Amino acid sequence: MRHVALALLLALASPLFAQVTDQQLLQLPGKDWLTYNGSYNSQRNSELDQIKPSNIHTLVAQWAFHVNGGAPMQSVPIAVNGLLYFTQPNALYAIDGRSGRLIWDHHHPLVKVKDREGPQRGAAVYKDRVYYLTTDDYLIALNATTGSVIYEVKIAETTEGYSAPPAPFIAKGKVIVGVAPGDRGLNGWLEAYDADTGKKLWHWDAIPKPGEPGNETWAGDSWKHAGAATWMSGSYDPELNLYYLGMGNPSPDFNGDVRIGDNLYSECMVALDLDTGKMKWYFQFTPHDMMDWDGSEVPVLVDAMYEGKMRKLLVQADRNGFYYVLDRETGKFLHGVPFVKQMNWASGLTSEGRPIRIPGIEPSLTGTKVCPSSIGAANWMSPAYNPQTNLFYVVALEGCGLATKNTETFRPGGFQYRAGGDVLLRDSDWKVYVRALDLTTGKLVWEQERIGNIGLGGGLLSTKTGLIFSGELNGQFVALDAKTGKSLWHFNTGEGINAQPMTYMVNGKQYVAIATNTTVFSFALLDSEKVTAK
Amino acid sequence: MRLCCTYLALLVTGAVSYALAQTTSPKNPLGHGPEVVAEGHTIFNQTCTTCHGMDGSEGERAPALVGERRFFRLSEGALYDTVKHGIPGTGMPALNISDENIWKVVVFIRAMRSSASEVDVPGNVAHGKEVFFGKGSCAKCHMLDGKGGTIGPDLSNIGAQITLKRLKESLTIAGPIPAGYQPVKVVTLKGQTIDGIAKNQDDFSIQLLDNQNHIHLLDRAELKSVNEPKTSLMPHNYDKVLSPDEYNDLLAMLAKQVTINLHRKIEGDGEVGR
Repeated sequence: MRHVALALLLALASPLFAQVTDQQLLQLPGKDWLTYNGSYNSQRNSELDQIKPSNIHTLVAQWAFHVNGGAPMQSVPIAVNGLLYFTQPNALYAIDGRSGRLIWDHHHPLVKVKDREGPQRGAAVYKDRVYYLTTDDYLIALNATTGSVIYEVKIAETTEGYSAPPAPFIAKGKVIVGVAPGDRGLNGWLEAYDADTGKKLWHWDAIPKPGEPGNETWAGDSWKHAGAATWMSGSYDPELNLYYLGMGNPSPDFNGDVRIGDNLYSECMVALDLDTGKMKWYFQFTPHDMMDWDGSEVPVLVDAMYEGKMRKLLVQADRNGFYYVLDRETGKFLHGVPFVKQMNWASGLTSEGRPIRIPGIEPSLTGTKVCPSSIGAANWMSPAYNPQTNLFYVVALEGCGLATKNTETFRPGGFQYRAGGDVLLRDSDWKVYVRALDLTTGKLVWEQERIGNIGLGGGLLSTKTGLIFSGELNGQFVALDAKTGKSLWHFNTGEGINAQPMTYMVNGKQYVAIATNTTVFSFALLDSEKVTAK
Repeated sequence: MRLCCTYLALLVTGAVSYALAQTTSPKNPLGHGPEVVAEGHTIFNQTCTTCHGMDGSEGERAPALVGERRFFRLSEGALYDTVKHGIPGTGMPALNISDENIWKVVVFIRAMRSSASEVDVPGNVAHGKEVFFGKGSCAKCHMLDGKGGTIGPDLSNIGAQITLKRLKESLTIAGPIPAGYQPVKVVTLKGQTIDGIAKNQDDFSIQLLDNQNHIHLLDRAELKSVNEPKTSLMPHNYDKVLSPDEYNDLLAMLAKQVTINLHRKIEGDGEVGR
């Protein structure tokens, strides 16, 4: 009897309302913003329509939430029923989306100096919990209303050099996590955990072991310290049940002599079965890369007409300078063109999508000019896609590097294993743009320079009303006309932006939020009630 | 060749003993029982108060030990060394008392700042848990390892967070309501009444967690009235409503609740003292 009473008490005491359902996670971003890129297809195109080109001149700051000790933050807030969940390395904050006031916070204590390395890109939500990863490689599940710890699971070891910067990705009750960095000769992998219990469900190695297909693409023992980090949050097609993620660079980054071969699955887009972790297909952007061009840029999933047929496409603007259109059912290469002008390492792509290399344009002992630089033509800053304009929007960097290689060898314990580097040639041609590409041809439709910026900065947000929000490294938060690229609104946040904007709605009012280096800002229309009323 | 090996062996032995010497520190032979703390307390107040103040709480010529977090991070061995040998170049003398008494003082100093988990609290932990989820009704408001209510603080790590003294006070003496747990009752302009606690509030907004585990993001302009009872939702009579055994067992169980040791030494933080 006593046990019955106890069980009853526990049942009553447990949270009564599941917050985020599988069904909600399948929706396009509207009132809530439930994943790192807003929805499984990573289009970052919001259904909210309150803020539009005709009224954006009345967009004003609503609140700012300063994060104590915030380093250059790279996190995207998650919004659930007006609550924002926001991370910086080893801390998670639950904020009132209307007022910016703190509701609770969770701080993960560290023990070793090495545990402090690496950024944090955001949280994930499922049912009544919120999840994030720490720099010392814990997956932490918290009660979403109080921040109470439900479980902590160690997924990797900092003593080996691993950190865990991605926002966890959740689908069908599975939390998918990955690791960084690939610049230390550490092999990447992906793992899925049961969201409810924290139990590991599967593990997938990004570098095939001897006897496995693909291992032959690594000379000798080079597969042992091979890179291919999994440092981003990917995209998911619920119909195909495939999870898509781009793999990082091979190790050592700049000297390919010790790893002759294509180096699979470094810099590949891979499609894994969500339930089993088995790879269905891969497509390699840069076989045998020598420029640290991680293939980790966000894969955007679009269903669109291609050559007269409706197809399931995956598009990606890669760090190597090419824009790719793939068939996401099979991984078949359909089309690819450069989206930057400064490209000297390849003259084009073969019909299979393999780059046609220009001999000699690679890191050398004395230095070779390679374009793009190792920063890449694009990087992890999220792109966006608007189905109405049929344009793909990306932050592009025009610039070259003077690339050298050396004979550095692997040392265990998480030391850099780059064997070279490049001096960024920040001359007058070094420029950052927001570019709009035609989805299927990759043709440039418009571009807007981020004047005075020397780095890529933050990513993009699209709204169905025809706006592109864009956060710049020099602190400007800008709204562009999605059709023309014309600048319609801007706000100087006063410090650098390295994160992606998002949007949400509370009590009928639409907000747009972005993290700067140390502060989260949220904006709304001056007179939003009037807009809603009509 | 043999000479070389012998020399090498000596070198290795030397290195090992050097390493051992570096890591060996004096060990506390007395334990941390309440009687040791009490005796240490007496010796402290006879010997150390001139500089460090009564109960180590207010130092005129030396740091208030109870208030300074850095002393907490010192190992017991380091505290022993400091008391026995003093700190050269400062006013801290070497104390001419027996080793046993030095250890008692060390245990007392540690106990002043020790979290409840670091103190011996006799009691039946399993029974304490039954009281928590049963007669004490603690789980109605508090969580333990993911189970329980949300209106009060999560107690899964309480043993590492507060001292035993503070823990006892929370169960038996009415004190100020901690930030984030102010009971509040609001009536909206539409006439809806919401009861709960204010997780946060300012001139314009209230973030209210209601008794059904819902968070309400309220704008004060939308509220007809806001009522804040002066008393905490937390009862402070557990020493009266529970039997002595139940109370002690609950206390012992709570004192042992540690998920993360918040006070553990972080690499790179400097040692103080000698």
